[in-house]
Amino acid sequence: MAESPKFTVVGVSERKVDGRALVTGKPVFAGDVELPGMLHVALLTSPVAHARIRSIDTAAAEAHPGVACVLTHHNTPAMRYTTAGQGAPEPSPYDTRMFDTKVRFVGDRVAAVAADTLSAAREAAALIAIDFEELTPVLSIDAALATGAPVIHDEDDCLDVWDAPHNVVSVIGAKVGDVAAGLAESAVTAETTIETQYAQHAPLEPHVVLSHLDPDGRLVILASTQVPFHVRRIVARLLDLPIHRVRVIKPRLGGGFGVKQEVLLEDVAALVTLRTGRPARLEYTREQEFVSARTRHPMRIRVRLGAGADGMLQAIGMDAISNTGAYGAHGLTVLSNTGSKTLPLYNKAPHLAFDGRVVYTTLPVAGAYRGYGGTQGSFALETAMDDLAERLGIDPVELRLRNHIRTGETSPIFEELGEGRKGTPQVITSCALEECLRRGAERFGWAERRARTPGAGALRRGVGMSAHMQGSGIALVDMASATISMNDDGSFTLFTGSTDLGTGSDTVLAQIAAEVLGVGVEAIVVVAADTDLTPFDTGAYASSTTYVSGKAVELAAMRVRDQILAVAGRILESDPTGLGIVEGHIEGPQRSVSLADIGKRSYYGPDPAQIAATASFVPESSPPPFMAAFAEVEVDVETGLIRVTDFLAAVDCGTPINPIMTEGQVEGAIANGIGYALTEEMQFTVRGRNRNPDLARYKIPGAVDLPPMTVMLIDSYEPTGPMGAKSVAEIGINGPLPAIANAVYHAVGIRLTRPPFTPEKVWRRLREAGV
Amino acid sequence: MDITLPRDLEAALAAAAAAPDATILAGGTDLMVGVNYHGVRPSAVVAIRRVAELQEWEDRFIGAGVTYRRLEAGPIPGLAQAARTVGSPQIRSAGTIGGNLGTASPAGDTLPFLAAVDASVVLRSTAGERVLRWDEFITGPKRNARGPGELIIGVRFPDRLPRRQAFAKIGVRSAMVIAIASCCVTRDEDGTTRVALGSVGPTPIRARRAEEMISAESRPTEATLTEFSRLVADEVRPITDHRSTAEYRRYASGVMARRLLERVLS
Ligand SMILES: Cc1cc2nc3c(=O)[nH]c(=O)nc-3n(C[C@H](O)[C@H](O)[C@H](O)COP(=O)(O)OP(=O)(O)OC[C@H]3O[C@@H](n4cnc5c(N)ncnc54)[C@H](O)[C@@H]3O)c2cc1C
Repeated sequence: MAESPKFTVVGVSERKVDGRALVTGKPVFAGDVELPGMLHVALLTSPVAHARIRSIDTAAAEAHPGVACVLTHHNTPAMRYTTAGQGAPEPSPYDTRMFDTKVRFVGDRVAAVAADTLSAAREAAALIAIDFEELTPVLSIDAALATGAPVIHDEDDCLDVWDAPHNVVSVIGAKVGDVAAGLAESAVTAETTIETQYAQHAPLEPHVVLSHLDPDGRLVILASTQVPFHVRRIVARLLDLPIHRVRVIKPRLGGGFGVKQEVLLEDVAALVTLRTGRPARLEYTREQEFVSARTRHPMRIRVRLGAGADGMLQAIGMDAISNTGAYGAHGLTVLSNTGSKTLPLYNKAPHLAFDGRVVYTTLPVAGAYRGYGGTQGSFALETAMDDLAERLGIDPVELRLRNHIRTGETSPIFEELGEGRKGTPQVITSCALEECLRRGAERFGWAERRARTPGAGALRRGVGMSAHMQGSGIALVDMASATISMNDDGSFTLFTGSTDLGTGSDTVLAQIAAEVLGVGVEAIVVVAADTDLTPFDTGAYASSTTYVSGKAVELAAMRVRDQILAVAGRILESDPTGLGIVEGHIEGPQRSVSLADIGKRSYYGPDPAQIAATASFVPESSPPPFMAAFAEVEVDVETGLIRVTDFLAAVDCGTPINPIMTEGQVEGAIANGIGYALTEEMQFTVRGRNRNPDLARYKIPGAVDLPPMTVMLIDSYEPTGPMGAKSVAEIGINGPLPAIANAVYHAVGIRLTRPPFTPEKVWRRLREAGV
Repeated sequence: MDITLPRDLEAALAAAAAAPDATILAGGTDLMVGVNYHGVRPSAVVAIRRVAELQEWEDRFIGAGVTYRRLEAGPIPGLAQAARTVGSPQIRSAGTIGGNLGTASPAGDTLPFLAAVDASVVLRSTAGERVLRWDEFITGPKRNARGPGELIIGVRFPDRLPRRQAFAKIGVRSAMVIAIASCCVTRDEDGTTRVALGSVGPTPIRARRAEEMISAESRPTEATLTEFSRLVADEVRPITDHRSTAEYRRYASGVMARRLLERVLS
């Protein structure tokens, strides 16, 4: 491990740069903004899961008082696109139309109405008469793959769908060695099949956009988005505008978790503005956020493992089928990550295979969601590892220690499985998973708790664990850039295209710039995510901001520092290479000069010249953060109620730029993961209608539901990252599901494979098992 | 919409008499859900939050306007335990026992206790007062015997409350959860035991056969406890809905009742 240098601003739990405005309720969100003459847009969505629109009559809606514009498939662009906010060309099929002649899930867009008030828009939307020719809904993976299944995408103009007549969006395969032979040669094998549920991100702030025309007639979109530049590109194409005629601004965001890596409302509001010349606001209700936004791909995954008697893995086979719902946004890439964010973890196995298929159903559309397929894959792999450990008679922690990847090592999977295509070879440049496992186990009291008997009463205790990796950005795909310019008081303005969605990344980037420039965070003004002002950044997804955008900021700051030192060298009559900035000053051999002096001079002379630099960064690898997760549960064998009584995560994310926010990311992700494991599930009727589209019935854990959580940030230094940092936003969510399931097995001897583990479900499994 | 904000009981009764179809608004935690989500559009509203007489709590009488917050901190253990499981702190600060009765949901968390102790509901209108036993008042799921122009004044308990009381509910998470099944068990020094359950029938259900059997046992054995649990499970009348199946509710009722019994016995 490289020796980590000493920092002064990085590694400090600085306050969030936007914290004060947020906690004092300043109008910082897109939904807070009102513009004169603003229209309100209401969406009319499909009440049925699968139907062709025979006719649609908007006359009454158009005649309704206050209505300015009604959009349907009759008067909107017919071209196909993907709502996935990914780099161009997007690795998602072009299977979506702004408004289609067919609806493919309950909640699919049918029409939009813009009116002076929201109530007028809603009333008018209710006046639209639609004649649906209902088709058979397709409500499960099995139904989608059945022979003679209804064809969900039977249009002839969709692009990049693998086998539309059979509802197969994509297939993915990766193969190293021969898994069948490897399993046959193994002394011990284990096999697990899991099936996960539909889950929703439920950000506090639902999607909201406000569009208007600026005085020059350019389209300006204020959007709650994780991907402003992709929004600009996709909306420009859809609405046939030159890219430079569109400006996208991201204000503060109330969370995203992936659901805002998707262009869901911007095109509609923008088109209303173009048609009417008036500002237009469109906002999902909470119900629409559940029904019409995006969700986590439900998956069925089978994992087969083979190992020698010494516990060394010989073969790992993973077969996965993913349900992408009605449209294929992120279908291929999420499933790729199911393999690529799990299989390299145990790189000692010579035989590896991943086989995946993505299928359409007429259920809500899945998309990017924290963990991005790795969460589902991890659950399958880590419960299979638990089973294997038992069959081998080896402690689960020890089994991971024997097999996990180390610094300087690689896995063929990095090259075999990329983002829906081949990946890039990658050597691990930092890995403290061994310390995570050892120190995590010690702090958790693993050995002692594991040795305890679960008890014989109604309440049985058990402990379980799991190991994880994620990534930091997308190698050779992501690009981030940053511009830093110096002000005449010696402060700096950082222009970054990256997107802080509530994570605190603006603060983290300011800390990185401040560290390089020898100033405090307060001397950095952050201007972020405005396509007119800030240089390009692919956006906030794939755990990329700290690592990719952070590196761009570090590089830009280093260039600015060099420019400052060159000026300082002239002033101090000293060789700049020997100079450095400390607390806003550059110390020469005789005297010192302040940044304020240099800033003033850069504006007003002598020899004025703007001190500024731009840098871009394209990562050549995606260094994984690692985590060991430990859970203790108490299972009530009479009622089936599982209580998580303790949770510990030991995380290697390289240098934590801001420790308290890093811990916050992990804690939030664990809470998110506990909900996914125990209570969260979108439920559907036999006709495909969501039965619990609100926060009363879709059960997210509250503070009282959560166990005590311990987050240990384990020292490591990633040499390719900014100041040794990797990412941390996603990995935490992967832990709870397998760690809890493994703990339940330890407590009561049943393997839970179908989350969420609700009391009744667990009670049934316990009864079947005769506990 | 016509809204009246009476400041005392007399004015409240007058307002209710003047508009017998008016909707009574207490904490609003049920009513506003109806307004916001289920298209409830009252023609007239009588808001009773400021009526001091309804906030009274005198020994065996609890005014309809008493909130969960106060019940939680109060001296009646079964009711305090039930109140503690309701919603969130915000809901508990606003929601009232009168509202729980007014709604008469099978999942109302105070109702099993009221059923277990045979509480009465005091109703009043300008025409006079009526006192109905809990099972005369609650007539079905979300149905009650309140007449036009009547206000729920409060609940009245028998002179003596059983010394030992225990309440529990089962749901999929700890906070903000509607019960899959709830149960209240009380036991007196002479062994008299009462068992009432919620969410497992159209109204709160008393498991009378189980009560009778266990009341006669001074020191129940393992076998009697098991039999007690079986009888309770036998007497409930649960349905299957999106929260749970009838089968699980039935089983869970037996388990919960037995655990609560063990608590009141210890
Ligand atoms: C988020 C949330 C969580 C909840 N969790 C729970 C829970 O865990 N357990 C539970 O039991 N309930 C729960 N509830 C339901 C609700 O809080 C309770 O039923 C509460 O007791 C209602 O009281 P209120 O004062 O708010 O009634 P209101 O909403 O004001 O009134 C309810 C009904 O009773 C009538 N009414 C009220 N007072 C009188 C009166 N004095 N005379 C005549 N009629 C009257 C009203 O007209 C109305 O029909 C929850 C509600 C919400 C919104």
